[in-house]
Amino acid sequence: MSDELIRQLASILLQSSPLIIAVSGETITERVGVINLSVDGTMMMAAMTGFVVGLKTDSLLYGFLAAAIVGAIMALLVAFGSFRLKQNQVAIGFVLTLLGDDLSAFLGQNYTRIPGPVVKHLPIPVLKDIPIIGPIFFNQDLVVYFAIVLIFLTWWYLNRTQPGLHLRSVGERPEASFARGINVNRLRYIYTIVGGGLIGIAGAAYSLDVKLGWSDGHTRGLGWIALAIVIFGGWSPVRGALGAILFGATKALATVLQRTFPEVSVVAFNSIPWLLMIFVLLTVGSEFTERLILLMPKPMRGPMSRALRVSPPMALGTTFENE
Amino acid sequence: MQNPLLKKLDFEKIVDALLPVLATFAALAVGAVMLVLLGANPLQAYAAMVEGAFGSTNSLADTIVRATPLLMVGLGICISFRGGVINIGGEGQLVMGAIGATVVGLWLPEVPAFFVVPLAMLAGFLAGAIWGGIPGALKAYFNVNEILSTIMMNAIAVQFMNYLLRDPLLDPDQFNAASKIPQTARLVQAFDLPRLVPTRLHLGAGIAVVLAILVYLFLWRTSIGYRIRAVGLNPDASRYAGIDVKRYIVLSLLLSGAFAGLGGAIQILGVHHRMFTDGSAMGFTGSAGFNGIVAALFGKLHPIGTIPASFLFGALLVGANKLQRVMQVPSAFIIALNGLVVVFVVSSEIWSRRRSRRRMSMSETLPELDGSNKLKKPGETQI
Repeated sequence: MSDELIRQLASILLQSSPLIIAVSGETITERVGVINLSVDGTMMMAAMTGFVVGLKTDSLLYGFLAAAIVGAIMALLVAFGSFRLKQNQVAIGFVLTLLGDDLSAFLGQNYTRIPGPVVKHLPIPVLKDIPIIGPIFFNQDLVVYFAIVLIFLTWWYLNRTQPGLHLRSVGERPEASFARGINVNRLRYIYTIVGGGLIGIAGAAYSLDVKLGWSDGHTRGLGWIALAIVIFGGWSPVRGALGAILFGATKALATVLQRTFPEVSVVAFNSIPWLLMIFVLLTVGSEFTERLILLMPKPMRGPMSRALRVSPPMALGTTFENE
Repeated sequence: MQNPLLKKLDFEKIVDALLPVLATFAALAVGAVMLVLLGANPLQAYAAMVEGAFGSTNSLADTIVRATPLLMVGLGICISFRGGVINIGGEGQLVMGAIGATVVGLWLPEVPAFFVVPLAMLAGFLAGAIWGGIPGALKAYFNVNEILSTIMMNAIAVQFMNYLLRDPLLDPDQFNAASKIPQTARLVQAFDLPRLVPTRLHLGAGIAVVLAILVYLFLWRTSIGYRIRAVGLNPDASRYAGIDVKRYIVLSLLLSGAFAGLGGAIQILGVHHRMFTDGSAMGFTGSAGFNGIVAALFGKLHPIGTIPASFLFGALLVGANKLQRVMQVPSAFIIALNGLVVVFVVSSEIWSRRRSRRRMSMSETLPELDGSNKLKKPGETQI
């Protein structure tokens, strides 16, 4: 493999890391049965807060911590509005998206386009010398390592631990979980807040690492991409992460193609991610897929349908009342 | 003697009707705190706001001009939300409609206006219809979440606009300029919508009001409108009643986009007379695609109610601009104030809907707006 390609792959991984973190957070939230639609606004608020706090305290740790707290608060608002005030989750999330966009522009207006703290490059000593894998995975910074660990940690927690089982059961059959003695709404509060905290960290990962600094609408649109990727990932953290990387790769490919074909308008390439996301929403879990699977040769159908057909957590977006 | 229960219902109805207004005041109160923090006198600031929105014939005309696209988008929102479909693609639909009208105007500069102007409006209407119809079809036939797909369609419309204004539709005067302003040539003056009084007020406002009445008649006095509302209230029951639910989902999003698209065309013909971009949708639409949703909710998703709601919201936007000029507060404050009003109004709307559902009164019910009206397959159970 050429150095250029390896550099490219490493850059794709770096670019996708915040999305991986956000997708993990939203996946946890949705697996417990809650839709946090405010991802886009939350990431902008967190990106702004993380940048400003990081700048003021000159500490990356405080920056990320503040961003996580902002994300957790936004998620708490969704949970509180939904469980206690019995409002529609989707509506609350959408309103918070608009608010996050506007409020971050207002609060961060004095901090636009100025240099701030940057997450430091941190190669891992021995591992980075492994050919091919080393430079891609281990010659990165802490955000990337955190994202990679998070993928497997989330998967392990959801699928291999008892609290993870409870989490999933609340998202699928809240009544049955309640009958088994699980406090449904408490778990939903906890995991919505945890998921929101991760989304907040993703926002700060942009402003402090991948897309440095703050400007009005700094991460606008990326939250919606994350929401679409959660669906693409079929509510699985590993597949969600693959989706995020695929998205990063498409963007990188668009940049390369743009350099190769300068006569084609840059706009065509800028539209690719959005078109791709619509296509993703189209293919996953829809009748389109069912038809596609039927077109395939018989031995392919089984694995393909397992790979493509996904269903959301059964109690997604519903509220539960202890009786 | 009057029935006490009836009296109570009346009282609650009044509370419901006043709720958006109260929410606006609550938002302004929060805004006042922000103004104090910014070192400005809130009373003075809000006086400037009222003065800016209603103080003179000119400012009143500006308010109405500002309200027109909100009303157009709001009418579309009334249709789609009544049909149980959430259309957040107003921004993209406005942009596409404006592009349609601009292309027609630039293409036929020699042709008489009485032919071109309606044609440009039709082009805007159709362009918006396509931009709304695509997510509608995706939802109806492929079960694609319309909130996400309309958001994606917004982004694609913006990219398309940026592409057109950078090259194919670029103003010939800008070709040789050092830094090209991304805008089209001005449409010939003959295509300008007539002005009603010697202000910026143009015929588009009148068109929008007439359309509001037509949309009301369409939704409540035609069988197609009845079916759209039936699908919004209960897709399953509608299906059993023999309504082709999928077709009506497409139709309500398509019409919703069409009205927003026509709104974009009216903006071109009546206000801007050319298409321009600052790289985002907001530069052209002024967020009317989002604010129109709020105006429609403010008007209780009723086309007639949306008329005063848009007017009030337009006043808020125009007044806020004046406030900013007079008080010298940062423009981000206006954005935040706008956001606060949106949040408070939408929350109050949700709250009152929940109250009305709990009351289970005989008053008309509104469709559930959580995008949950997907078609359930027989046998599929929902917890």
